[in-house]
Amino acid sequence: MSEAKSTPRAGGFQFKVRGPRDFYGGLALMAVAILAIVASGDLPGQSGFAFGPGTAPRMFAVLLAISGGIIAVTGLFMDGPEIEPFAIKGPSYVLVAILAFAFLIRGLDLRIVKIPFTIPSFGLVISTFAAFLISIMGSSEMKWVESLIAAVAMTAFCVGLFVYLLGLPFQLWPAF
Amino acid sequence: MTDLLANLALGFSVAANPYNIGFCLLGALVGTLVGVLPGIGTVATVAMLLPITFGLPPVGALIMLAGIYYGAQYGGSTTSILVNIPGEATSVVTCLDGHQMARNGRAGAALSISAIGSFFAGCVSTVLVAALGAPLTGLALLFGPAEYFSLMVLGLIFAVVLAKGSVVKAIAMILLGLLLSMVGSDLETGAGRMTFDIPELSDGIGFANVAMGLFGFAEIIRNLEMSAESREIVNAKISGLMPTRQDLIDSSGAIARGTILGSILGILPGGGAVVASFAAYTFEKRISKTPHMFGRGIIQGVAAPEAANNAAAQTSFIPLLTLGIPPNAVMALMVGAMTIHGIVPGPQVMVKQPELFWGMIASMWLGNLMLVIINLPLVGLWVTLLRVPYRLLFPSIIVFCCIGIYSINNAPTDVVIAAAFGLIGYWLVKHDFEPAPLVLAFVLGPLMEENLRRAMLIARGDPTVFATRPISAGLLLVAFLLLALAMLPMIRKRRDEVFVESEN
Repeated sequence: MSEAKSTPRAGGFQFKVRGPRDFYGGLALMAVAILAIVASGDLPGQSGFAFGPGTAPRMFAVLLAISGGIIAVTGLFMDGPEIEPFAIKGPSYVLVAILAFAFLIRGLDLRIVKIPFTIPSFGLVISTFAAFLISIMGSSEMKWVESLIAAVAMTAFCVGLFVYLLGLPFQLWPAF
Repeated sequence: MTDLLANLALGFSVAANPYNIGFCLLGALVGTLVGVLPGIGTVATVAMLLPITFGLPPVGALIMLAGIYYGAQYGGSTTSILVNIPGEATSVVTCLDGHQMARNGRAGAALSISAIGSFFAGCVSTVLVAALGAPLTGLALLFGPAEYFSLMVLGLIFAVVLAKGSVVKAIAMILLGLLLSMVGSDLETGAGRMTFDIPELSDGIGFANVAMGLFGFAEIIRNLEMSAESREIVNAKISGLMPTRQDLIDSSGAIARGTILGSILGILPGGGAVVASFAAYTFEKRISKTPHMFGRGIIQGVAAPEAANNAAAQTSFIPLLTLGIPPNAVMALMVGAMTIHGIVPGPQVMVKQPELFWGMIASMWLGNLMLVIINLPLVGLWVTLLRVPYRLLFPSIIVFCCIGIYSINNAPTDVVIAAAFGLIGYWLVKHDFEPAPLVLAFVLGPLMEENLRRAMLIARGDPTVFATRPISAGLLLVAFLLLALAMLPMIRKRRDEVFVESEN
């Protein structure tokens, strides 16, 4: 029995992915391709000589699925570098900052499972200021005083440039 | 020849209008300002600054955008030389010798030679664009839908061959770009495609959102991972901006050769400017009597790639202005800008709006002149800007990008879409996929599908039409050969070496 334990078993569920970057990258692309095929499934295809709206999407989606498959298979059998770890903190703050800007500037009126979810429209000044402060929190070297000063300066600069100099029709202040 | 002179005269009369000179100057200035920021490449710069041209008259807007483009490129070179962080692929090579020169205390000479080289290349390629514009527009008349489709296939294959890393991965990126471009209403039937019943997607995904997400946000997220120590700025005071007579003699040959190589490679669709700078550097190293000096701060190693990438940047306007096909991502943004101003890029621009066409060409030269005039005295200012810590820079860039995207349609959804593409871009980089081919395919997608459908309809559903029409067959053959070559193990090895060299 001890013999069976010491020899590593090849195949089975022990199979090691040798190039994880390629393997998972390829799989993800295949998933996107399948999603595209499903999503364009209800579109009419070729009729007579003419392409339908669904022909080209399905054509390219099938090709993408094939190339994704090739990439995944390559990743399975060829040695490749490990996937670098994804940072969580920086990207999250950046994402939240961008979303905060998007939702604050014009407000939001959503209905998630019949529960109304409303953000009033805050206008350019507040959304710019908020986005700046939130994203700066994603940096590990953040200092409060400096950040506040920079946020005020940047907000003033953006308002000056976009609203006064370029005359873009932005709402500046909150409208409740 | 007299035609050419008359046309150029018309162009200069447009470009020399004080307003247009002002726009050009302003464009070059803000282009450099943003381009200097580390980690922000030309595409992101142009995408970010696109909205500030919306309020201008069409000619002024395009002139300003062209100015922004050159400024961004020049700004990228400055960052390469002083900080050793290339803003984008085209200035990667400039880092090699440029930064070494800066460390040897010759930053001033490197910066001025790069400006002079770019200016010379700009002069030559402006004349080239003017001279080739008319004949190539004639060529466009020979092109039917089948030829257009094949030409775009060739362009995309170029992008594949020039992309770094695996060929299959680049092809997958192209296909993904094509698929993404098809989201939204079908052009002919109006049927919603792959919209998942989200009303905001029925107009399709805006190009600026994709570009800003993949090149702007994704780049910022990635830069956040780097620690502050990896960014090293040359602290020595920059003195002796003027190159010595010996510098000029040493670099004149390199500048001329770089210009020629760059002009030729820039016309090719699929991102010629990147290859141009690599090719010029490699060529210069090969013919040099002192090849071992390359990478240690030799002036030819700065002059040749800088001249080449500027020449290529200029000649890449040729396919756009004559055939209406954007050869790279920046030109794709130009198409976006032209469309917003109601101009359909292509052969008709030259006939219907000669003042726009020639005005833009003349402004190219003017833009290059501006760069020399404003940048050399302002180097000190750019250096100060580089000293601003990244922790304050990146939130500013994010805010600026947000406002920029929002202002295009006053649509918060666009900002959300760009954020999504930022995450996608981050994921792509982690899995060694290059975003550039995706973006190019995304732009060419609608054009390609339209021409494919039209060609098939005209040929009554016979796919052999692409092989039986001579021009189309020729283009496809070249595309096929290129792809086959890129797949060959021997060439692949050489290709990888070029990219490896650029990374060391």
